[in-house]
Parts: sequence; structure tokens; C-alpha cells
Amino acid sequence: MSWQEFWIIFVCCALTMLACRVLPLFLLKGKELPDGLNRALGFIPPAAFAALVANDLLAPGMFAEGLWPAAIPFAAAICVVVVALKTKSLLWSALTGVAAFALLLLI
Amino acid sequence: MFTRAHIKDSFSAAIPVMLGYVAIGIPCGILCDSIGLNALQVFLLSALFYSGAGQFMIPNMYLASSSVASIVASVSLVNTRQMLYSASFVPNCKNVSKRLAFFFAATVTDETYGVSTQRFAEGDWSVDRALMLNLFSQTSWALSNVVGVLVGSALSIPLNIASFAMTSIFICLMVTQKLTSANIVAMVAAMLGVYLAKLLGLTGPAILVGALVGVAAAFAFSAIVGKSGSKGGAKER
Repeated sequence: MSWQEFWIIFVCCALTMLACRVLPLFLLKGKELPDGLNRALGFIPPAAFAALVANDLLAPGMFAEGLWPAAIPFAAAICVVVVALKTKSLLWSALTGVAAFALLLLI
Repeated sequence: MFTRAHIKDSFSAAIPVMLGYVAIGIPCGILCDSIGLNALQVFLLSALFYSGAGQFMIPNMYLASSSVASIVASVSLVNTRQMLYSASFVPNCKNVSKRLAFFFAATVTDETYGVSTQRFAEGDWSVDRALMLNLFSQTSWALSNVVGVLVGSALSIPLNIASFAMTSIFICLMVTQKLTSANIVAMVAAMLGVYLAKLLGLTGPAILVGALVGVAAAFAFSAIVGKSGSKGGAKER
């Protein structure tokens, strides 16, 4: 990649990213939010986490080449759910997930 | 504010994210090296653009010989999900200075959004700690990326395994949400939304689309349940 291509991509992506990160907060900050909007904002965490998980685990056609190798992420995810509910620890969840995924790939 | 105790709080909250960023930051740096980006360029991207998903997309799309314009458009579209995180922090930033709110908001990622959201809900958290969490994580991300460029292809990390650390973090954040019926509606609808978006070819904005579907479904659900006078089913925090 040339320096020129790099600068265009870097500057444009950094600017759109900054806008997405900062503008909504500053447009809403300091205003009395209507009840409905407040309630909707409260649903963002469960919806966003579920969307992030689904984005990593689900894809159309994921079982096209058979059940087993494709089921490995789901099996590892179940191990993570158990550990997450038991420990409530992000660190243990991450370690469990990576270990379970790696072990299942070896089988 | 930025006291010793707060710095310690932030650092211990940042550890899982920092380790995850080492695991995927090094492969990200290696990938960037493979398209001829140097350490300075990768550092600039990591420090000022600071997006895991985006920094993997740029070299991957470049390798697939996409045009500069389509790289910018696709990466920007993927990052629109950050708008939701930004909006959801409005109540937490109510009483903090504009400068603090700006630097905090400007350094939020998927993972640090999750950690701060969880901590704010538990109560022992503040925007200054959230900013330090972001900065610790960003430092880990930037250094790991630079290390990746410097070692180049001398090291190979299986990316599918390393990136499962992030998936695991998201799973933990999801299942430790309050499991009210409205929240469960939000989760199920969001997952369906992501799948449908991908099915329709909207892979880039799938996370944003899914999350919006989830919020809308939970909102409608709580409005209906609230109206029929059912007891507190829609009560979220």
C-alpha cells in the first residue's frame, strides 16, 4: 500500500470513526431525555452484546460442509456460558473460550 | 478523579481486554506488515483510528484488491455500531466535563464499551475510570500491533483461536445481563437480526442492524406488556 493510499484510508476512516464515537453523546448530552428514549437506551447493552456474539458465531451456510467442524465454536461457546455464569469473570471466560476452542479443534 | 485507587480499579478491569488485544493485535500487525504498512503507519492506525474490526478489514480488502473508496466506505459502515455505544453512555456522562466526555467517548471499543457498561450498572464506576480503562486497552492494542509488524511472519498465531477470546468476552457480557423478559426479547431479536442481515448480504452493518432490531423489539415488547398491566415484566434497570 502506498503512502498516498494509506493517508486517504487512515484519515477518512479515523474521521468517520470519531464522528460515530462522539457525535451521538454530544448531541444528546445535557438534554432532558424523554422517557421512551431513556428506556430504549437501556436496551442497548443486551441487544448489542447479543449482536456481537451472533456476528461472531452465526453466518448463513455455516453448516454447509457438515455438522462437526462447524459446531466447534458453539460447543466452546457453551463452555464459556457455564464459566461466565459461575464466575462472572471476563478473564476466566476468555481463557476458557480459547482453551475449549483450541482443544476441540485438536479432537 | 484520577486517583491511585481509580487507576488500580481501571487497570484490573482492563486486564482481560488488554490480554485479548495482545492475542489479536499481534496477528493484526502481521497482516498489516504483509501489505507493506510500516510500524509508524500501524501505530497511527492503532492510536487514532483504534478499531480491531476496521484494522483487520483494511488489509484484507486491500489484498482482495478493493478500491480505496470501497475500503473507506465498508470500514466506516462497520463502525456505525459505535453510535449506539455513544448514545448509551449519555446518562453516565451527565455531570462530567465536555473534555473528559470527549476523550472517553473517542476511545470506546466494543470490548471497553462492554466492560464499562457492566461496571456502571454495578455502580462502582465513573467516567474517569472508564477513560483510563480505554487508554490501558488502547496502549495494549497499539503496542501489540507494532510488535506484530516488527516480528512480521516470523510468528504465527492461529487467528480463529485468538479471536475467540473476544467472542468469549462478549458471551460473558451477554449472559451476565439482567435476564428480564424484555432483555431476553432484546437478545433473541438482536441475534435474529444479525443473521437476517447477513442473509440479505448486509454483512458490514450486521451488528448495528441486529442491535437496532433488538432494541426496537424489546421496546415494543415492554410497551405492550406495560399497557396490558402485567406486573413489572418490562422493568429494566
